Amino acid sequence: MTAVSDIPSNSAIQLTVGAKAALITVVVGAICLALEGVAPWLVKWPTAWELPATQWVGAFLDWFLNSIKPAMRLFSDLMAYPMNGANFVLGNTPWPILIGLVTALGWYLGGLPMAALGFFGLCFVFASGYWAESMNTLALVAVSVPVALIVGGAIGILANEVPRVRSFVQAVLDVMQTVPTFAYLTPLLLLFGFGPVVGLIASAIYAAPPMARNVMLGLERVEPEIKEAAIMSGGTRFQQLFQVEIPAAATQIMVGVNQCLMAALSMVIIAAVIGGFNDIGWEVLLTMRKAQFGESLMAGLVIVVFAVVIDRMSGTLATERKRYDQRVVWAVLGFAVLFTVAFWAWLPNPSELTLLDPMAEAVDSGLTAFTQANGPWLDALKNNSLFYVLLPLRIGLDQAVLPFTWGFQWTTGMSFGLFAVGAVIAALIAWRGHMTGGLVVLILIGMLETGIANLPWPFVLTGAAALSYVAGGWRLAALSVGLLCTILVSGLWERALLSLYLSGAAVFSCAVAGALIGLASAVWSPVWKIVRPICDMLQTIPLFVFLIPVLMVFQIGEFSAFLAICAYAIVPMIRYTRHGLVNTPEEMMEAAISSGATEWQIMRDIRAPYAAPTILLGLNQTILYAFAMLVIAALIGTTGLGQSIYLALGQADVGLGISAGAAMAILALVADRIVQGFAEERRKALGL
Amino acid sequence: MTDANTPAITCQNLWQVFGQGADKALTDALSRSGNDADKAAADLREHGFIPAVQDANFEVKEGELFVIMGLSGSGKSTLIRCISQLLPGTGGEIRVDGENVIGASKKALTELRRKKLGMVFQHFGLFPHMTVADNVAYPLRVSGVGKKERMARAQEVITLVGLEGREDSYPRQLSGGQRQRVGIARSLAVNPDIWFLDEPFSALDPLIRRQLQDEFLRIQATLKKSIVFITHDIQEALKLADRIAIMRDGKIVQIGTPTDIVLRPVDDYVREFSKDVAKGQHAKVASVMRDESERGPDDPGLTTSMTLDAALAHCMELYEPVPVRDENGDIVGTVHPSDLAAALQVDET
Repeated sequence: MTAVSDIPSNSAIQLTVGAKAALITVVVGAICLALEGVAPWLVKWPTAWELPATQWVGAFLDWFLNSIKPAMRLFSDLMAYPMNGANFVLGNTPWPILIGLVTALGWYLGGLPMAALGFFGLCFVFASGYWAESMNTLALVAVSVPVALIVGGAIGILANEVPRVRSFVQAVLDVMQTVPTFAYLTPLLLLFGFGPVVGLIASAIYAAPPMARNVMLGLERVEPEIKEAAIMSGGTRFQQLFQVEIPAAATQIMVGVNQCLMAALSMVIIAAVIGGFNDIGWEVLLTMRKAQFGESLMAGLVIVVFAVVIDRMSGTLATERKRYDQRVVWAVLGFAVLFTVAFWAWLPNPSELTLLDPMAEAVDSGLTAFTQANGPWLDALKNNSLFYVLLPLRIGLDQAVLPFTWGFQWTTGMSFGLFAVGAVIAALIAWRGHMTGGLVVLILIGMLETGIANLPWPFVLTGAAALSYVAGGWRLAALSVGLLCTILVSGLWERALLSLYLSGAAVFSCAVAGALIGLASAVWSPVWKIVRPICDMLQTIPLFVFLIPVLMVFQIGEFSAFLAICAYAIVPMIRYTRHGLVNTPEEMMEAAISSGATEWQIMRDIRAPYAAPTILLGLNQTILYAFAMLVIAALIGTTGLGQSIYLALGQADVGLGISAGAAMAILALVADRIVQGFAEERRKALGL
Repeated sequence: MTDANTPAITCQNLWQVFGQGADKALTDALSRSGNDADKAAADLREHGFIPAVQDANFEVKEGELFVIMGLSGSGKSTLIRCISQLLPGTGGEIRVDGENVIGASKKALTELRRKKLGMVFQHFGLFPHMTVADNVAYPLRVSGVGKKERMARAQEVITLVGLEGREDSYPRQLSGGQRQRVGIARSLAVNPDIWFLDEPFSALDPLIRRQLQDEFLRIQATLKKSIVFITHDIQEALKLADRIAIMRDGKIVQIGTPTDIVLRPVDDYVREFSKDVAKGQHAKVASVMRDESERGPDDPGLTTSMTLDAALAHCMELYEPVPVRDENGDIVGTVHPSDLAAALQVDET
């Protein structure tokens, strides 16, 4: 502090990079505001300047997809065999045997806890009456996962062997991670038509990248000396790879298997949106549309049970495993078979079971009672958030402040007043030596006045370029501007801004709330004991299921979507914040304590700065999660790109689907690179 | 040790340069500097390349224990990886048993490694998913030796390194010292002629280190391999080596016997190393012996292979030259007691 205030004149003249970038942004923003009346094209990109990119993409893809259609149809016909086989096997195996199998598998993988998890999990599915639907879903997963494992594994190994392929694969995987799930579905729909095969292939495509990524990572992380030892033993490349490197990377590869399974399950359920065929995802969608929330929740719980069982069981593969007595496996299986044979005539048909129907009804009536009892309060929460936070963020104070909601009309005078106050605050901050901070305050006030959806495009481009430049230099700035310009000229700009607004609001809320929860978990371990299982749960649940509870309480609308996004995207922020804060090296803490620092000083001066890169990575994940959920949330009412992707799916409009998907991916990619750039810069500054 | 056969390993003008297009850069730099290694290296550095090994020239004789010593970053690990062809080598020649290995085919290299080379690593490089026995037998497995035969051979080397009873353990269940015993056993499984050891004892506790050094010497005494041994520890180098090469910034600055290094360092860098070495324990009487016949009346019984410390203890009270005998008891020269004391003087620089 003293060092800065000693040289105020100096810092005012010699601007830092950040201050320069912020200053340019302020100037561009001010010019846009000033010329708003004279040159409306500065604010809104004129329709006449738009390129029909969506149509071009559509035409090209139509041609391309049609040309590969015969081959793909053949492939899908081939895939129908294993799928029908899996369906037949899972559908016709008596349920006691399947429960016994899963229990035995649980025992084999993780002993008693896993066996119990498998047993009770499947018993719940059985009792819910969704047995047949669940088996259909499981059959899809059972076929798509091996395909994804083989394809992903092969890509990972290939990338490891051929350095030139590696960077290409890495880039493709990065992009695939940001392309929203629904965007995959539209072209697949054209290729394969409606039906379960689309879900199968979509989930195989969606689940292969995590496998490839982990295989690459695992092989890369094998200790160099182990690789050298294999070479010096005289192994051929093939021997080195399959006898030494792959087994040595087994743990990481098993993490890939786990992620692959979860991704496949998630996608199979999402794919129900296009090809409902009596699977569990379809059941959720159907009951949700009919507003039968009790049943919807029950079906959602079945999905969650599957997710948890699959995740925890496959998770044991990636840890060092004890060997469990194999005799128990055989005993369980034997018992299941005996049970089946003995009670064959009395075995109930699981589809007719209604054991949990009372529960579903109870949930329904309970929910009705709850919403009625708390109606005013819930409505107030929803409306206040909408009118006083979300709406101003979206369209700006100048349009959001109306007599109807705020009780008065926004006037030009108020705008000036707001800017005047902003300018004073900015000047104060700048005077204290934080030039950049002051300018950023000014920018934020401008954005609040205008609204994110109404931001002039030159301002957005300049802002993105400035941020990118500070985070990663000229190359990143050029990349960001180039990518954003493609959205601008393709006519998707307004929708992109709408998406940016909603995900921005969600990310901001997650960042604040997540950081606070993470901080609390880091300093107070009882909090973490409660937060941790919740985080685990939220990360295991397939995206789709998040919609059910928010829908139950808040009905369709932007606020529900906002909540669903937050619930999904907050987890990484909490985790990374805690992880960063907890992992301060012991020596640094001891040095601080012996210097006489208080608990609070250690947190502010030592732990927080040290954790900054990790927290930024958490923020990065939160942004990606928010974008991923944004598209799913389109099902319950968002505007913007997510809605376009969803609509395109309904109309089988490949051009729109892919363009909007690409625009979404671009937004995510640019945000990702900028945050990564900042994280990298922090890491370098700390010498990590 | 004075075998006059072809040397086990010969390195001639060996370069390892890192960077894009290093091959061409090296050729250019050498032609610009007129084959002056130092100038070429400086030139390469200026152009953003890293000359990790510069113009290395040495021979390792059959049965010789050749130690390469240097600080971290001096290029010693790179050098051993060039010789074992884990790195390709940018320029020069490496002859292993008379065959040039730079530019040899993959197949020929694999064959060479299966028959003639063994290597021990600093952090052991054990395969985590294999038992001790499987680790040790792996070099035999890749060359297609049957299971029964390779397990029998593995048992032999496991016994040699003193690990009987741990055959079925996994590396993670062993202590550091035991792990390196496995590493040593594995490198000996194919009974190689040439043995590379890359800082094999650096990651171990001092006590275990000394124990393994002694056992290593015991094994070498029976096996008589040609050895390239890397270390950053001057004491270890002096204790084990027949000859030592000292590296600095990619260059070999001196090659010599332990006595040479201690008593006749070529520059301040080498002198700095030998500074805190108890010279008397490493240098031999032969190194200060003069070829004179004039000597005093006393004969304290010095021999050529006595250390300076021992010799000085014998002539504590003598001031006149004394005779020195060889192993057969014949007088071969003279030592001035003052020379002994002078040789032991610690440098004050």
